[in-house]
Amino acid sequence: MNRRRLGALALVATLAVSPLAVVSASSAASAATRTNVTFAYDFPGPDFELTPLVVAQDRGYFAAAGLNVKIAFPPNTSTTTRMLATGSADIGFITTTDMGVAINAGAPVLSVANYSMRNNWALFAKPGSSVTAKNLKTQLKGKRIFSYGDTWTEAMLPFVLRAAGLSASQVKIVTDPTGNDLTSLLQGRVDYSTSTTNYEIPGFVGSKTKGNLVTVLGTAVGAPDVPIWVYATAKSYASAHGATVKAFLSAVKKATIWAAKNPTAAAADFSKAYPKSGYTNAYNQLGWKLTIPYLTNSKGQYFTQTDAQWTTLAKALKSIKLISSVPSPSTYYTNKFLP
Amino acid sequence: MSRKLLRNVGVPLLSLLVLGGLWQAIVVGFHIAPYIAPRPMQAIDAVTSNWSTLWPLALGTIRETVYGFLVGAALGVFFGVIMAKVPVLQRSVYPVLVLSQAVPIIALAPPLVLILGFGVTPKIVIVAWIVFFPVTVNVVDGLSHVDQDLVNLARVYGAPRWRTFLQIEVPATTTPLFSGLKIGATYAVTGAIIGEGASGSYGSSLALYQVHANSNLDAAAVYGTTMLMTAIGITWFLLVVATEVAVTPWQRRSVARQPLRRRGVASAGEGTSIGSTPLKGES
Amino acid sequence: MAATLLALRDVTKRFGEATALAPTNLEIAEGSFVAIVGPSGCGKSTLFNVIAGLLRPDAGEVRLEGELVTGATGHVGYMLQKDLLVPWRTVEDNITMAARLTRRVTNADRLEARRVATEYGLGEFLRHYPSALSGGMRQRVALMRTLVTHQPLLLLDEPFGALDAQTRLEMQQWLLRVWRDTGRTVLFITHDVDESLFLADRVLVMSPRPGRVVADFANPLSRPRTMETLTDPIFIELKSQVMRLLHGGQR
Repeated sequence: MNRRRLGALALVATLAVSPLAVVSASSAASAATRTNVTFAYDFPGPDFELTPLVVAQDRGYFAAAGLNVKIAFPPNTSTTTRMLATGSADIGFITTTDMGVAINAGAPVLSVANYSMRNNWALFAKPGSSVTAKNLKTQLKGKRIFSYGDTWTEAMLPFVLRAAGLSASQVKIVTDPTGNDLTSLLQGRVDYSTSTTNYEIPGFVGSKTKGNLVTVLGTAVGAPDVPIWVYATAKSYASAHGATVKAFLSAVKKATIWAAKNPTAAAADFSKAYPKSGYTNAYNQLGWKLTIPYLTNSKGQYFTQTDAQWTTLAKALKSIKLISSVPSPSTYYTNKFLP
Repeated sequence: MSRKLLRNVGVPLLSLLVLGGLWQAIVVGFHIAPYIAPRPMQAIDAVTSNWSTLWPLALGTIRETVYGFLVGAALGVFFGVIMAKVPVLQRSVYPVLVLSQAVPIIALAPPLVLILGFGVTPKIVIVAWIVFFPVTVNVVDGLSHVDQDLVNLARVYGAPRWRTFLQIEVPATTTPLFSGLKIGATYAVTGAIIGEGASGSYGSSLALYQVHANSNLDAAAVYGTTMLMTAIGITWFLLVVATEVAVTPWQRRSVARQPLRRRGVASAGEGTSIGSTPLKGES
Repeated sequence: MAATLLALRDVTKRFGEATALAPTNLEIAEGSFVAIVGPSGCGKSTLFNVIAGLLRPDAGEVRLEGELVTGATGHVGYMLQKDLLVPWRTVEDNITMAARLTRRVTNADRLEARRVATEYGLGEFLRHYPSALSGGMRQRVALMRTLVTHQPLLLLDEPFGALDAQTRLEMQQWLLRVWRDTGRTVLFITHDVDESLFLADRVLVMSPRPGRVVADFANPLSRPRTMETLTDPIFIELKSQVMRLLHGGQR
């Protein structure tokens, strides 16, 4: 069972964890003296992007920071923002597009750090396809393109079509929130799938299909190179528990750096923490390894957000009418809790 | 007449208003944020102000509902009849049909998409899948409870089996059949929405619109779409009820309406006599 | 002496070990009114079902107008205590039921149904559904439905058993009138001795275990029969004879 998480607006929880299940791995002895933090993931079940959190948990980074972190899973991908806004979770993991629509809807949330720093969203075709960034127009015209119907894909596709010189009506967008883009692609139900490289490639490898998955990175065809995932919290939580947020980010940063340096051990940590996630260790390991390059910016920095990334994103969202206006970038984020 | 109208329309309308009021009170009273739950009027407004987008999507859902319902009802009647008529089939097919209902629809959708594609067909299959079962169960039940004395009477008259079936067994099963159809009608829209949400589509659909609204934290559109879906479901249910009323006049009337086809027949009195044999009863 | 309409020869019916009907021989004259009385379980209804063709006898034969009809249906009129009117049809359409079950209903069928209904006092109810009728009216419709089949032999199995005493008396008189008008042959099952003597020319008494005909009385009471018939000495005498057979523990 391999599935992309970015897009999947899953209508149902996956088998691994029941909705809002709370998992705690902290030792009971000193737990009472530590600060409790409920962390909400953006997908109903765990997958390898949770590796830094698992490492922070299992290798004592949270404990050292005086935190007792519980990881919660939402019933579907659009609930995490609400969990933050209503206080049923303290800190969460969401996409930057989630942030965009949340601010637009008046939800008092705040992005406190980037998870990834760049955009690894891409268009994929079956082995043997001759599609490249140069010949998009002829290759895409009249073809079926899979979308989970998520805001990220909705925001990115127009850039690809614009680069190809095609209108939305010149391609067939297949929207399937609960489907599987890779299966649809490999079985010939669609001509192109859309996803991020760190999810699509391990899935492809796991399918044991001959040849190489043909990949056209979004950034190669005009999509903005902006972060996809961020750590966020409620504005009220940030102002009342600034020290906790800072301690959390500090522990996660240390764990992220460790996990980036020891990808095999880190992936094994994840596989051990979630043996019933439905993914193999090989998948987790490859997925995590493909995630690592996107965790840092060109200067080698983790977490740091910029005005430019939020302005670019907001403009993209406004151009597809997902949000009504482009607010000041500071509405979305702050770097003041960065370690 | 107006009193009856008041009771049949006014009372349900009043309970709807009370429900709306309660909804309003909860949202306002508990200071629920608009991205969590909207006020009733905001939900209605989310439908009316986006009508040009929503109506084509609703039409799609209606089409899936109606086609799926019709296919499901036809299949339901077919299975019901063959199982009631052939005991071997009842023993062998019934468990399979029960099994089919135990399969979660969500699990059914992906293979259906792989076989049938992203068009309207998998949605129709899902609706039919849900609708046929209550129809089958009720038809089997209805047919096996037809008064055997009545069937015997038809036999005494020398009626062929197919005429007995059409003239006695089918009409005697109308009430259970419509019970099944009404249950099916309430499920049909649910099936169409599940189908839209779980099996993907070219372009958009009412379910996808709602998923989008949900991920965009547009609670008013989420609730509004739900209301629209509910309205489709209620309308379809009422249409099935209206059909039942139309085809079962004996349930409510004591005297039949004058049918047109009888108008041409001459009045009694000039016909043949029933006393075809000579009178000899008196001893 | 009228010709024989129905003849049973050595008709036997068993259900498993139980003999529902011991070898029975019976001849019914054309145009006669014959009543069969007996306690429940005496094989009356089995006898009827064999004659109607619903049951095939284990042995023996059934002849109607000399023709062998053993185990065949479609040659008698048949009516039960249950009126068996279908609720989804009007009175008129219930009367034409037999036609509808065997062929296309013609205008002649409809005209006849109206004529019969009008003649026997239900002309105003032709377009009513059975649910709007009283029990007596429903039984009348059921009999009309039986009449318009034009079968010479009518098998009536306790047709008035579910009616109250007053209605039953009216129905009995009405049945006699219909019988007189139409000249059909009637075989009438009842467990009510008074009813059998009031209606029939001939009364057969049946007894259970095994079901068989134990007595065959001719009923000489003059017609038309009225309330006075019930107090006629002949009536009283016949009744006591039949009652003795039924309850006296003979044989």
